[in-house]
Amino acid sequence: MTEQNINRRDFIKLTAVGLAVAAGTRAVTQTRASGDAPHGERQWAMVIDQSKCTGCNYCTLACQAHNDVNPDIQWNKVVEDGTVSGHQIYVPRPCMHCAKAPCVEVCPVKASYYREDGIVMMDYDRCIGCRYCQIACPYDARSFNWEAFTGDNPAVPEWGTPEVDRRPRGVPEKCSFCYQRVDRGLSLGLTPGVDADATPACVVACPTGARMFGDLNDPESSVSKALHENPSYRLRENLGTGPRVYYLPAIAEKMEA
Amino acid sequence: MLKNLRSKLVLTPWLIWLGIMGLALLTGLAAGLLVFWKGLVITNLTDLVPWGLWITIDLSSIALGAGAFSLCAGVYLFGLKRYQPIARTATFVGLIGYTMATLALILDIGKPERFWHSMIYWNTHSLLWEVTMCVILYLTVLLFESMPILANLEWLRKRLPKIAALMERVHHYAPFLAILGLGLSSLHQSSLGATYGVIKARPFWFKPEMSVLFMFSAIVGGISLTLFVTMLSSRLTNKAKVNDVLIERVAHFVGYLLIGYFYFRAWDALATTYTYDPGRSEGLRFLTKGPFAFNFWIVEMLFGMILPMILLLYKPARTNHFWRMVALLLVAVGVVAFRWDTNITGQLVLMPYVSGAAITYTSYRPSLVEILTGTAIIAYGLTAFSLGVKYLRVVDHTLVETEYETVKVQAAEPVTI
Repeated sequence: MTEQNINRRDFIKLTAVGLAVAAGTRAVTQTRASGDAPHGERQWAMVIDQSKCTGCNYCTLACQAHNDVNPDIQWNKVVEDGTVSGHQIYVPRPCMHCAKAPCVEVCPVKASYYREDGIVMMDYDRCIGCRYCQIACPYDARSFNWEAFTGDNPAVPEWGTPEVDRRPRGVPEKCSFCYQRVDRGLSLGLTPGVDADATPACVVACPTGARMFGDLNDPESSVSKALHENPSYRLRENLGTGPRVYYLPAIAEKMEA
Repeated sequence: MLKNLRSKLVLTPWLIWLGIMGLALLTGLAAGLLVFWKGLVITNLTDLVPWGLWITIDLSSIALGAGAFSLCAGVYLFGLKRYQPIARTATFVGLIGYTMATLALILDIGKPERFWHSMIYWNTHSLLWEVTMCVILYLTVLLFESMPILANLEWLRKRLPKIAALMERVHHYAPFLAILGLGLSSLHQSSLGATYGVIKARPFWFKPEMSVLFMFSAIVGGISLTLFVTMLSSRLTNKAKVNDVLIERVAHFVGYLLIGYFYFRAWDALATTYTYDPGRSEGLRFLTKGPFAFNFWIVEMLFGMILPMILLLYKPARTNHFWRMVALLLVAVGVVAFRWDTNITGQLVLMPYVSGAAITYTSYRPSLVEILTGTAIIAYGLTAFSLGVKYLRVVDHTLVETEYETVKVQAAEPVTI
């Protein structure tokens, strides 16, 4: 038996070489590994002015209609955040589309991934439904489809019409910055954040103009200007996730106006 | 079924045992099919607690299967050859444990038909991907390691003696398989802890020592369970033949390991108080004073570590079969409690994302389908092990396979016992 001539030392050597080659090949072919933050030409971001938000939930309803979301699930959740000079303050919370997104890093099958423009996307056809992304998300931005969403969407047609497919049972879903509107708008020569048809549904639906959307790489965009002119913060910034949703904190004088 | 096969049915304890296990398996199978049909909505899992009883079973069976790699490494790599019969049992226990984990995962994931995606779509950054790959590879290693055990099947030896001989010959490669097993297990046993340890969103988990705790608890728990089931089967059936000196020595070693495990676990818990990190201290309070206090102080600390440590290090208790078995079982139960407490506590403490908001809590109690399917997974493990003892000489310390050192081995003759 010739196999017996391989001694333990050789076996270890062979194994080590094999592993090194395999690892090297992966490293070369996988330069766009999930740990790298994307740097496309455009970098979408959202700015939410808490002075203007009245907690009306129009954004949530518009989102549920345009993305055909189960009424039990809210991609965009409006949460109370204390008071400023007697006024109730709200934090509307979509997906933060983190530059270093925990959900993307932990997903075992790369079903969560970065687009070049910074949108954190879900591949619902690849997802195995392990829910590690839900465990890892610091913002509770993901909701699992514990059952299939069948039947009518109560938000349709009053708040809009569905633009994407319903997600199947067994995968988590989340806000996508209405990528379908952004992509379609761009192909029609529109500017996301300026033209309503190219802008996320929640931004369009907001009756007080509390939400802005646009390209951070464009200094003339509404988001760039708003962030340049106002103090802002992001949620759980200490975690280093680099959210692309910025908040302009509520200021009493602005709220009186 | 059995009644049709046998004209005269004698209700032996063995048949009663199989009957009970069969019942548990059938109920669990029905519950499992219900889960596949209706979806995870019939569980008590929520968006706040997405990992519940099944994941705990998965974590625990992988932990308790760790006797395989640790004992095989001891026997084939560190030269403790006389413990080979125990490593043999451990390998079989490991094979059962890892298949149990796979069953639990298939139930737990939302898209079980896509389980193979992790082999195709690699995210090398994901701890869960690494664990999945290692578990798949290690399950393969365990299958090879178990070949000589499976070759003991009487039917196989009689009908297909050549295949049985071939399977037995895999034993030649035991040292190589032990290297693979040690490598893969070191990776995934600790990465299972890191799966929690890297979650910065939840400060209760977010610490580097999670990996070490998982690794350590797995080795302690895995060896203990192997020894316990070995002793238990030697008490229940004469098919199991044990050399008590070997068991006693390994049990003594477990006693020393427990000192290290206890020190590390206690230090880890106490060191949590060094700084106030929102969420972390709340998690610790959940363990020490909250709903998990009994689990933490009694099941994990007192009964899971301190008591068995004393029993296994104190010679009169260790040499007493009853107390040694009690100690070993308590260690295994303590490790399961550790996995449960860690997995659930981290999810029950809810971190606010609104700045300045208070930490809130949620609760989780497994639903009936989760419990029934979980019970069935455990019943599968017990059934498989008892069948192994009865038909595969899994616990047989008289069966010393020294041939692996010498290259040549004769095709095994059918052995009639």
